[in-house]
Amino acid sequence: MVNVVVLIKQIIDIDQMKTDSEGKPILTGIPYRLENLSKNAIEAAVRIKEKNGGKVTGIIFGTEAGTSAMKESYAMGVDEGILITGYKGSNPQVTAKAILTYLKQIQFDMVILGDQSADSYTGMLPGLISAGLGIPLLGNANNIAIDGKTVRITQVGEAENVEMEAEMPVVVSVTQEINEPRLPPVLQIMAAGRKPIRTEKFDGSFNNVNVISNLAPKSERKRKVFEKVDEGIAEVVKVLKEEVR
Amino acid sequence: MKFLTVSDDINFLRQVNTLVSGKGDIDSVLIGEGDAKGLGSHVLYKAKRETPFDAVSEGILKIAGNYDYIVIGSTEIGREIAGYLSFKTGFYAATEVFFLDFSGQKTHTKRFFFGGKTVIEEESDARIITVAPGVIEAKDLGSTPEARDLEVGQSRIKITKFVSKAGGSVRLEDAKVIVSVGRGIGSKDNIAKIEPLAKALNGEIAGSRPVCMDYGWLSEDRQVGLSGKKVSPKVYIALGISGQIQHIAGMRNSKTVIAINKDKNAPIFQECDYGIVGDIFTVVPKILEQLKQ
Ligand SMILES: Cc1cc2nc3c(=O)[nH]c(=O)nc-3n(C[C@H](O)[C@H](O)[C@H](O)COP(=O)(O)OP(=O)(O)OC[C@H]3O[C@@H](n4cnc5c(N)ncnc54)[C@H](O)[C@@H]3O)c2cc1C
Ligand SMILES: Nc1ncnc2c1ncn2[C@@H]1O[C@H](COP(=O)(O)O)[C@@H](O)[C@H]1O
Repeated sequence: MVNVVVLIKQIIDIDQMKTDSEGKPILTGIPYRLENLSKNAIEAAVRIKEKNGGKVTGIIFGTEAGTSAMKESYAMGVDEGILITGYKGSNPQVTAKAILTYLKQIQFDMVILGDQSADSYTGMLPGLISAGLGIPLLGNANNIAIDGKTVRITQVGEAENVEMEAEMPVVVSVTQEINEPRLPPVLQIMAAGRKPIRTEKFDGSFNNVNVISNLAPKSERKRKVFEKVDEGIAEVVKVLKEEVR
Repeated sequence: MKFLTVSDDINFLRQVNTLVSGKGDIDSVLIGEGDAKGLGSHVLYKAKRETPFDAVSEGILKIAGNYDYIVIGSTEIGREIAGYLSFKTGFYAATEVFFLDFSGQKTHTKRFFFGGKTVIEEESDARIITVAPGVIEAKDLGSTPEARDLEVGQSRIKITKFVSKAGGSVRLEDAKVIVSVGRGIGSKDNIAKIEPLAKALNGEIAGSRPVCMDYGWLSEDRQVGLSGKKVSPKVYIALGISGQIQHIAGMRNSKTVIAINKDKNAPIFQECDYGIVGDIFTVVPKILEQLKQ
């Protein structure tokens, strides 16, 4: 039996987000969704449960809107969830504090989270959570193997991959490539809607960061797109000859 | 001001030093080996490459009191160290920055947000900073540091094996022409088919994240994007790359962008100067043929 806690972030659907003429993000009406790597983390946790038995607990630090993300997580195989409300923006220190408060009340063998989240991608949570719990971190794993109390992973590094291991309890952060997150069947999503969610409050305000601006960079591309391949080739060759001499 | 810069890659350490040079004195920590000539630091603390991140972090904590800011290259181990240090010191960490300045007690940074759709400019009390890869061209800073051993701490993580990946080190930041391949290239063997184009243009080959990370068709130091290199060549040629925002974040500063994709609705066509809707394997050979004329 391996009990796993998975850290789940909910984000706005950045693919649907547009910016206005000044480059300001238009956030009204944009739906929320599960953050990409959180999905990989859920999938990894559920696969561990399916293989070894045990329980998967999900923790979200977000807002009231997080109930839909928790339901989706339930449908993917998460057994119990804690939704901590009070999230007021990306600040990894605050997020870690909120999560650690409740994580420390749970019995677990492993905490799984994404290596870098898709919207803010600070990559700070794995180190913060590991230091906060005082247990080893096996980071950026593209596979997880459990052998008794030992957890082995392959860490995807920049220049080389590194095989490493540690005894449970451990924190494991995962890559986007570790698995293909499942799409839960409709029946499971409906059943998940009836499962209770434990909701807690955390004051997630902070004043040590002042946002000066948050704007889309201007794109002044020519966008000359050729569907007639030969015309395109002629133009591209001309450009290349001018640019690369 | 005193800076401690940290990386597990000597070239990245040079970039970080270049970014903070002129703002104060620098000491550095290097995990692994590398030639430190002209690094510009006074002291270079060295740790063996098989040292786990927490043991390195404990070593840094022993000397951290001597510095105003700890500036770390954002590699996997770099981020792990930054998170660990942020927890232990209580200092806020500004992450993945591509612009860094200090005014009074404030740390002024710029970084991408919303997966690369926006740039967020912030002022904070950050004392720990992670720097995105490839945001600055490394300069020779003249002085060569005195080497010392970092007194690393204990770890319960056991590193058992290093597995090297394809390719070697490449300096995409300096390339004038980049030929970049995406999942549309189809296989590792197919990369050979576009190599002649890169050669003819005196360019470097790069790739999207799936090509470099997922499939390993190229080495990871050739990855362009939000979590890869930030490049600014004169010409960036995107072959079979859909143009997801996380990729665009790495090549946005290119002067001229050329895209070839068989899907006319691919988002890359919104971010290119010249686009051809077509198949890589028929278009590239024709371009090559006409280039030689
Ligand atoms: C936190 C985070 C960080 C990320 N960082 C990065 C990053 O640094 N860099 C990065 O690239 N991605 C990054 N991504 C991933 C990114 O979201 C996309 O998944 C990725 O860029 C897609 O790569 P692709 O364009 O090669 O593949 P796909 O999206 O699969 O596109 C392949 C394209 O090839 C075209 N094609 C197929 N066959 C042919 C052919 N024969 N001829 C012509 N065209 C063809 C298709 O039409 C398609 O448009 C990140 C994601 C996250 C969540
Ligand atoms: N607010 C949050 N609530 C729960 N988990 C989170 C939250 N923010 C980040 N995480 C987890 O930490 C991972 C890395 O995020 P980050 O460190 O912000 O890049 C994500 O993939 C999630 O698994």
